[in-house]
Amino acid sequence: MEREEIFSKLNEIFEDVLDLEGGANLTDSTTANDIEEWDSLSHIQLIVAIEKAFKLKFTSQEILKWNTVGEMVDTIIARLG
Amino acid sequence: MVVNSINFWLFFAATLLPYFLLYKAGSKWQNLWLLLASYFFYGWADWRMLPLLAVTTLIFYGLGIAIGRNTESNPKKAARYKTLGVIIGLGVLVYFKYLGFMVDQFATLFRSWGMNVEESIFSIVMPIGISFFTFKLMSYVLEVNLGNIKPEKDIIKFGTYIAFFPTILSGPIDRPNKFLPQLDISRKIDADNLSEGLKRILWGMFLKMCIADRIAPWTDAVFNNYAHHNGTTIIVASILYLIQMYTDFAGYSDMAIGVARMMGINVAENFKRPFFAQNIAEYWRNWHITLTQWVTDYVFKPLTVSFRDWGQWGIYLATLINFVLIGAWHGANWTFVLFGVYHGLLLILVLALEKKRKKFEKKHNLKKNEFYKWSRRILTFLLCAIGAVLWRSASVGDFFGTMAQIGNGCGGMFTGGFFAILTFAIPSIFVAFVDEWLKEYDKKLRFFHNPNVVVRIVSIALMIAWVIYSGELDGNSFIYFQF
Repeated sequence: MEREEIFSKLNEIFEDVLDLEGGANLTDSTTANDIEEWDSLSHIQLIVAIEKAFKLKFTSQEILKWNTVGEMVDTIIARLG
Repeated sequence: MVVNSINFWLFFAATLLPYFLLYKAGSKWQNLWLLLASYFFYGWADWRMLPLLAVTTLIFYGLGIAIGRNTESNPKKAARYKTLGVIIGLGVLVYFKYLGFMVDQFATLFRSWGMNVEESIFSIVMPIGISFFTFKLMSYVLEVNLGNIKPEKDIIKFGTYIAFFPTILSGPIDRPNKFLPQLDISRKIDADNLSEGLKRILWGMFLKMCIADRIAPWTDAVFNNYAHHNGTTIIVASILYLIQMYTDFAGYSDMAIGVARMMGINVAENFKRPFFAQNIAEYWRNWHITLTQWVTDYVFKPLTVSFRDWGQWGIYLATLINFVLIGAWHGANWTFVLFGVYHGLLLILVLALEKKRKKFEKKHNLKKNEFYKWSRRILTFLLCAIGAVLWRSASVGDFFGTMAQIGNGCGGMFTGGFFAILTFAIPSIFVAFVDEWLKEYDKKLRFFHNPNVVVRIVSIALMIAWVIYSGELDGNSFIYFQF
């Protein structure tokens, strides 16, 4: 899957889970600080939704190491192979 | 040595002068001087604890390097060093803080089975500040392992971060990510830092000496003899006690932050107007922020990640564990555990009702309704006041005894010593409230930071006069020094 494709899928998931009206507009450098609705609780709902959408299971260590959306996408790409 | 004492200011002056003189020599020399001053400061509190501080610092310094060497080549090995660090950190904490309590609990249990157990075999002296510096040590290895920071090679710099005297006794619990880089640059004498730092210290003294220490004698008198007091008295004392707790700890934090600022170092903020919080979740985001953040990052987040397939229930369980830990962090007593359970359950309630609440607010257009906001604030405050009584009680039985008194009639209030509070603390509480209200509502009016120099000087002078006139100058100790 292309990086752009993953981003567009993530945008949908973020919009849906966080209930964002204007879209998520994710970029590589987006962090939780940039989106008000993205707190430690919705973070978990996001991860569950992402795992479901991409049909994969992250390890705890992978999840805890993410600081930006870009790093999250890197893991997804690595996992999808 | 507390900040509002003569000893501290003599020590601080003697530290500050050479510190700035070393500016030209470079940050390394300034750090070394700061490290020596910090060890002197800590040794002043209890010199027997210096070896513990030094040895744990060395161990974690070594662990950081060991983790750094292995993160790329052998992440599993790095993770094992991290785990070792967490075990050592928790081990030290448990040994000094909880072992005596656990042994007592088991002894009681065995006695109840008819066994003969000696009274109190253990008597361990708890090092002051241990809950704070062990948390700094553990956060360091955790951050290195997550790859958020590089392991620190400079032992002097690392030692200074752990022992930094303004915060070693009682926080704020600084993170290595924000703190260590500040030690890389020389700190020169700076008028802005000095004046901002002094203003912060003055405000901290005001909160501590004019409010907390003024309220303390009365709330002590009530809670230490709760059986003799009626409902009205207990309710007023509970409300005042939460204010006392806040002004005591926020006052201390302001002083610590101010002292560090004078030396050109920014320490993490610990409070952000908690009494303006509209629910318990918001309250905890703004109360003892550095502790809550620590537990959120290193306990709550990993737990929610592990429990993520259990849906809402996973989050509830993580919340409960999280708050039991925050409670127990305060000390070895069932009251603190129950305090954690109480706040955990309140937070779960907030989470469970969140969607309904948001719908309700949208439907009735309540987001900007001041009456609605203040009702929620008052409710949150009162719920926290109940928690504060639990927190203060010597035993769980005492807490329920105190609460039962509320039902025991609401006659006239106990007024012994109360007028000292009315005349001194009430005007101060009002001033503190106005200050927070101005900030919360983003009003332009400022006193200590007014653009007009006359207003600035007059308000600062008035505040100094008020602290001298109405402050409790008897150098009370701080509630949080016991942790």
